[in-house]
Amino acid sequence: MKLLFSQTMTIVRHGFKIEWANPERWLSPILFAITMLILFSFSVGTIEGPDTAKLLVAETYLTAFFSLQISFARFLEPDQQDGVFSLLRTYPLSGSAWYLGKYITVMIMGLLILIPTIFLTSFLHAKSGVSLMSIPVITVAVTALSGMAALGVLLSTMTMGSGSKQILYPLLYFPLTAPVLISAVEASKSILVDNVNLQSLMSSWLGLLLIFGVMSFTLGILLFGELVKAE
Amino acid sequence: MESEKLHVGMSLLMIGLVALTWTWGLKWAPTELHMGEVYRIIYVHVPAAFTAFFSAFILLIASIVTLIKKESSAGLWGRSVAEVGLIFTVLTLATGSIWGRPTWGVWWEWDARLTTTLILALLYCGYLILYSSLAAGPQRNKIAATLGIIIAADVPIIYKSVTWWRTLHQPPTLIRPGGESTIDPEMRIALVSCMVVMIIVGAFLTYQRYRNLALAEELEKLSYEQTP
Repeated sequence: MKLLFSQTMTIVRHGFKIEWANPERWLSPILFAITMLILFSFSVGTIEGPDTAKLLVAETYLTAFFSLQISFARFLEPDQQDGVFSLLRTYPLSGSAWYLGKYITVMIMGLLILIPTIFLTSFLHAKSGVSLMSIPVITVAVTALSGMAALGVLLSTMTMGSGSKQILYPLLYFPLTAPVLISAVEASKSILVDNVNLQSLMSSWLGLLLIFGVMSFTLGILLFGELVKAE
Repeated sequence: MESEKLHVGMSLLMIGLVALTWTWGLKWAPTELHMGEVYRIIYVHVPAAFTAFFSAFILLIASIVTLIKKESSAGLWGRSVAEVGLIFTVLTLATGSIWGRPTWGVWWEWDARLTTTLILALLYCGYLILYSSLAAGPQRNKIAATLGIIIAADVPIIYKSVTWWRTLHQPPTLIRPGGESTIDPEMRIALVSCMVVMIIVGAFLTYQRYRNLALAEELEKLSYEQTP
C-alpha cells in the first residue's frame, strides 16, 4: 500500500513538472474554451426566456467537453517524446499506481479547465441572472469530470500508437461520454430551474454520473496495466 | 472441397431461413389495428436491433477472452462481431427511420432508442477504425479488447441516460416487466422466429468474417516470413 502510494505520488509529481514546464499545454485548452464561449455568445446572442438556464448549462458543458477532450487526448505526448513512457513500461511499476497517478494529474488539470469555463459562462451571461457558480452545480460538474477523466486516461493510452489519433480520439470520446453530457446538463438544469437538491438527484442524474465515474475508474484500474505492460 | 460444399449449403440455408421468416412477417402475419401494413417493418427492424445489441454482448465476451487467454483468434472474433454488429446497427437505423416517417411524420427524431442506436453505430465505427489503425500484434489485440469492454459496459448507461432524457418510442411490447406481453400471439410467434433467425444469420456472418480474417492474417504472416 505504501509502495503504491509513493509510486502514485511520483507519477503525479512528474506529471505536474511536465505541465508546469509547458504552460501551453494547459493554457491552450482554457483559451480554446474562452474562444468557444465567445463564439457561442456571438451566435446565440442574449439568452432570454424559460430555457435560459438549460441553454447556459448546455453551452458550458459542451465547451468544457471540447476543451477537456483536447487536454485528455495529448496528456501522454510528453512522456512519449521524452522516452519516459518506454522506460516506465519496463520499470517495476504497478499498473494501478501508474493509472492512479495519471488520473489524479488529469483530474487536477481538468479542474483547471472546468472551473474557469463555468466561471466565464456566468460572467459573460451575468445579464441572464443565472449563475452556475454554486456548490451543487460545481459538485455535478466535478462528478462528471471524474468519470470523463477516468475514461480520458484509458482512451489516450489506447489511441497512443494509432496513426489516426486526431480523428479517432473524439470519435470514441464523444459517444462514450454522451451519458455524462446528458446527465450533467439535466442535473444542473434541475438544480437551477426546479431547485432540486443533490440528495434527490442521487436517485436519477447524479446517480448515473456516479455510476459512470465508478465504472470508468474501475475499468481503468483493471485494464490500464494490460495496455501499458511490455510484451 | 467438403468444406466448400458445406459453406455453400449453409449460405443457402441462411438465405432460405431469412426469406421464409420475412415472408411470414411481411405477408402472412396479421395486420396491426392502428398502424396498418406499415407495422410489418418490425419483422426486420426489431430482430436487427436485437442482433446489433447482442453483438455488443458477444464483443464483451470476445474481449474478455482476448485479455485473459491472450489468443489472437479471440481478437479476430472481436473484430468480426464488431463488423457484423455495425451492419445490423445500420440496418436498425435505416428501418427505424423508414418506420418513423409514416408513424411520427419525420425521418429522424431525437428519440431514446434511435439516439442510443446511433451512438452504438459510432462506437462500432470507432472500434473498427482503432483496430485497423494499429500495427498487428498482441498489443493491438489488447487495446481493441479494452475498447470492446468499455463499449459493452457503456451501452447500458447510454441506454439509461437517453431513455430518461426523452423518448417517443413505444415501450417494450414483446416482454414487459412482470412477463406480460401486449402483442398478438400470432405476431409474437412471427417476430420471435425472425429474431431467432436474425441471430443465427448474425452468428453465421460473424463466423464467415472470422474465417476470412484468420486467412488474411495467415497470408500476411507467410508473406512477412518470405520477405528477404
